[in-house]
Amino acid sequence: MSEPCFHCGAALTPNFRHAVQFGGQRRPVCCGGCEAAANLILSQGLERYYEFRAPSPPGFVLQVREWQAFDREAALRRYTHLRADGSREVSLRIGGLHCAACGWLIESSVGRAAGVHEIHLEPASARAELRYDPRQISLSELLSRIHTLGYDPEPLSFTGVAPDWSVQRRDMLRRLGVAAFGMMAVMTYAISLYAGAMAGMTPDLEQLLRLVSLVVSTPVVLYAAQPFFAGAWRGLRARILGMDLPVALSIGLAYTWSAIATLRGTGSVYFDSAVMFTFFLLLGRFIELTLRARAGRENDALARLLPDAAVRVREAGTERVLPEELCVGDRVRVFAGERIPADGEIVNGQSELDESLLTGEAAPRSRGKGGAVIAGTLNLSSVLELQVTRVGQDSTLAAIRRLLVQARAARPRLASSADRVAAWFVAAVLVLSIAAGAWWWHADPARAFPIALAVLVVTCPCALSLATPAALAAASARLARGGILVARGRALENLVRADYVVFDKTGTLTVGEPRIARVQPLSGRADEAGCLEIAAALERHSGHPIARAFANLSSPIALTDVTVAASRGLEGHLGASCYRIGREEYVRAGCKSIETPQCASLGGSAVVLGDRQGLLAAFTLTDPLKSDAHGTIAQLRALGLRPVIASGDNASSVQGVAARLEVSTAHAALSAEDKLALLRSFQQAGHRVLMVGDGVNDAPVLAAADVSVAVGGGTDLAKVSADLILLGDRLAPLTLAVNTARRTLRVIRQNIAWAVLYNAAAVPLALGGWLQPWMAAVGMSASSLLVVLNAMRLLRAAPPTLELVSAPVNTKATLRAPA
Amino acid sequence: MSILYLLIPLGVGMLAVAVGGFFWAVRQRQFDDLQSPAVRILLDEDQIVPPELQQAETQD
Repeated sequence: MSEPCFHCGAALTPNFRHAVQFGGQRRPVCCGGCEAAANLILSQGLERYYEFRAPSPPGFVLQVREWQAFDREAALRRYTHLRADGSREVSLRIGGLHCAACGWLIESSVGRAAGVHEIHLEPASARAELRYDPRQISLSELLSRIHTLGYDPEPLSFTGVAPDWSVQRRDMLRRLGVAAFGMMAVMTYAISLYAGAMAGMTPDLEQLLRLVSLVVSTPVVLYAAQPFFAGAWRGLRARILGMDLPVALSIGLAYTWSAIATLRGTGSVYFDSAVMFTFFLLLGRFIELTLRARAGRENDALARLLPDAAVRVREAGTERVLPEELCVGDRVRVFAGERIPADGEIVNGQSELDESLLTGEAAPRSRGKGGAVIAGTLNLSSVLELQVTRVGQDSTLAAIRRLLVQARAARPRLASSADRVAAWFVAAVLVLSIAAGAWWWHADPARAFPIALAVLVVTCPCALSLATPAALAAASARLARGGILVARGRALENLVRADYVVFDKTGTLTVGEPRIARVQPLSGRADEAGCLEIAAALERHSGHPIARAFANLSSPIALTDVTVAASRGLEGHLGASCYRIGREEYVRAGCKSIETPQCASLGGSAVVLGDRQGLLAAFTLTDPLKSDAHGTIAQLRALGLRPVIASGDNASSVQGVAARLEVSTAHAALSAEDKLALLRSFQQAGHRVLMVGDGVNDAPVLAAADVSVAVGGGTDLAKVSADLILLGDRLAPLTLAVNTARRTLRVIRQNIAWAVLYNAAAVPLALGGWLQPWMAAVGMSASSLLVVLNAMRLLRAAPPTLELVSAPVNTKATLRAPA
Repeated sequence: MSILYLLIPLGVGMLAVAVGGFFWAVRQRQFDDLQSPAVRILLDEDQIVPPELQQAETQD
C-alpha cells in the first residue's frame, strides 16, 4: 500500500509486480490494463499527460469490451454518418474522461492514427466527435485505441434522445452575440437621439439615426428574439398563456410601432427598449441553459446493459452480430465473462449467472440446460449456448423499462400547477396593459402607447418564471460537484418535504461485497495464516463474487491443476496434497477419512477449506457496513428524517445492521411488492418518503417513493429510475442533498418574494405614466438577472464539500479480465 | 457635422463585420470548451518540426 498505481492511482494489486519506465525510474502499475495504457502513452511521447492530469474521480472501472461488431453495416448505419467524400463521422461519449489532460491525450494519440481526419473533444461534457476515413481505419480500431488508453468510448446513435447541449449552446451564443452588438449600437443612437431632442438636432440627422436604429434592431428582433416568438406561438397553439407571450408581445409591439413611426417620419421610437429587453432576457436564458446543461448529463443506461456483440451459431459456423439483429429461435453462444445478449433458454452448458443488475440479488444463480436467462445478466463461469426466446419490445429489459415509465407517469404533476398559475398571471398582465392603454387613450392619446408598453414590459413575469427553474438548475450543478446527479427537477422540491428515509440494505448500507469476518481453524494441521494462504491461492482461480473476499490477500503458494466445480467450490493441487474450498458438502466429499470434526455452528455464508485428511478451516464471510453509513444516518436524523431499513435479506442479518446503525425500525425478508406496500402505508399515514436503493427489483419501489436515490456503485438500471443518483459508493452526499434542497427552497422563496415585491412597486408607477418603456426594460431585466444571480449563490460550496473531496475514496480503475 | 452621414453608416458596417467575426468564432467552436485551451498550451509539443520532417511524419 506504499505507492499507488502510476497510471490509475488505485492501490497496487498484490502479486502483480509490473512497472513502467518514467523519467528514468521504475513506476509500479496495478494491472495489465494500466501497464498497456501507460506504455502506449509513453511510447507515443505523450508523457506530459502525467504532469498535467487531474486525479481521476472515484468509482470508474474500465470493463473489458468487444469492438468487432461495430464494423458491421447495421452498426455503422446506426452510429455513424457517411459524408459525401466517403469519410464517416461518429459521436462518442467517453467514460473516464475527466480533465483537460485526458482530452489532450486522446486527441493527440487518436488524432495521430492514419485515417483520422478530425477529432474534437469536449472534456466538460465527456463527448468526442471524430471524422475518419473508413478505408484506412475501422470504427472498431478507433474504439479499441481509445479503450487501450484507459477510457471507455460509447458510440452515440444518431437518433440519440439526449439533447445536444453544445449545439443548443452555440445557437444561443450566436443569438446572444447579435443581441449584444445590436444593443451596444442602438443604445448609442438612442442616447444621441435623447441628447439631440434636448440640445437640438437637424431633422435629417434625427431621421438617419432612427433609420439606422431600425436597420440594426431588425436582426435583433427577427433573429435574436426568435426563441421568444417561437415559445409564445407554441404556447398559443397549445392554448396556454406562457411566459413567452408577454415578452414576445412587448418586443414585437415596441419594434413594429417604432418601425412604422420611423418610416412615416413622425412619432416616438422605442428600439432601445426592444433591443435591451431582448439582450437581458437572452442573457438570463443563456445562464439558465448553461446551468441546466451542467446539471443533467445522463445517458440511457438501459441500453448499455446489452453487450456490444453476440455470437450467433449457424450451421455454417459462428458469426458476430449486434444484439439488435437477433431473432427468436436464433442460437447464441455466450462465453464466461460476457453479458447475455437476449432473453433465452439454455440448450447447452451449465454456468453461474450474476443477475444482480436485474434482481439486486448479489449471490450468483446456477443455471443448467433448460434454464431461462435474461438479457443483460452476466455469465460468470463457463460457456453457454442459448436459444433466443424473446427480443426487442417483448424482452424483460423492455418490460422493466415500461414499468418505470408507468410508475413515473402516475406521480403528481407539480410542474403543471405552476404553469397554470403563470397562465393566470400572464392573462392579468395582458388585461392590465390593455386597460392602461385604453384609459390613457381617453386621457392623453399621445401617451397611451408608451404607457401600455411600459406596463407590459415591467410586469413581464420573467423573474417569477425564472425564480424556480434557475434555482433548481443551480442546485443540480452544485450537487453534481458533490457527487449527486439530479435526474429530475422535482426531486429537490420533494426532498425538502421528505420526513421518512427508507434504506435498502445490501449494496446501499453495506458494501455489497463479502469480506472475511472470522477464520476458524478446524484441525491442528494448519494455523490461521497458513489456511488463508491456501484459500487465497485457490480463490485466485475463481470468478465467483465470494472470491473477492480473498482477492486482497497475497499468497506465495502456486497451485496446479485447479478445477472449478460450478456453484460448489474449487480444487487444487500442491505437490502431493489436494485442497478443496467451497461449500461444506463439497469439501467433505473430497475427504478420504471419515474423521472430521463436526461444526454445526457454521452459518450459511461460511466457506470451508479442506484437504484429503479432513476439514482445515472455516471462513465466516460478512458484508460489512459502509464506513459512512452510521454518520450519514445520524446526520439525517439530526435533519429531521426518520430512518427505516427495508431489506429482502433474512431477519438476523437485517437486525444486526439495524442495531449497529441504531435504527429502530427495520423490516426484513421483504419482496418488491412488500416494500411497495410498506412505502404506501407510510405515505397513507401522511409521510413523505425518501427511498434509497440500488437493485432493479427496487425500481418500482424507487419510482413510487416521493423522492428516490440510487446508489451509483449499485446498478445501471436503478440509475434510470431514480430522481437522484449517488455517483460513488458513499452515502454522505445524501446529507448534502438534503441540505442543498433546503437552501434551494429558501432561494426559491426569496426569488418569488422579490418578483412579487418588484411588481407591486413597479406596476403603479407604470400605470401612472412615470416610467418610460426603457426604464421598464431596465427594471424588469435587472429584476430577472437578480433572480438568476441569487440562484447562482447555490453553486457556491457549502462547508461539507471540503470533507467530501478530501475523504479517502476507492479509486480502482482497472481492466478486469474475464474469468 | 455632415461627416456623421458617413461615419454612422460606416459604424453599422463595422458592426456587421464584428457580428460576422463572432459567428465565425462560434462555428470554430472557440466557445465550446473554455477549460482545455489554457492547459493545452502547456501540453503541446514546443519543438518546431521542419516542414520536410513534418511531411515524413504524416506519411507513416
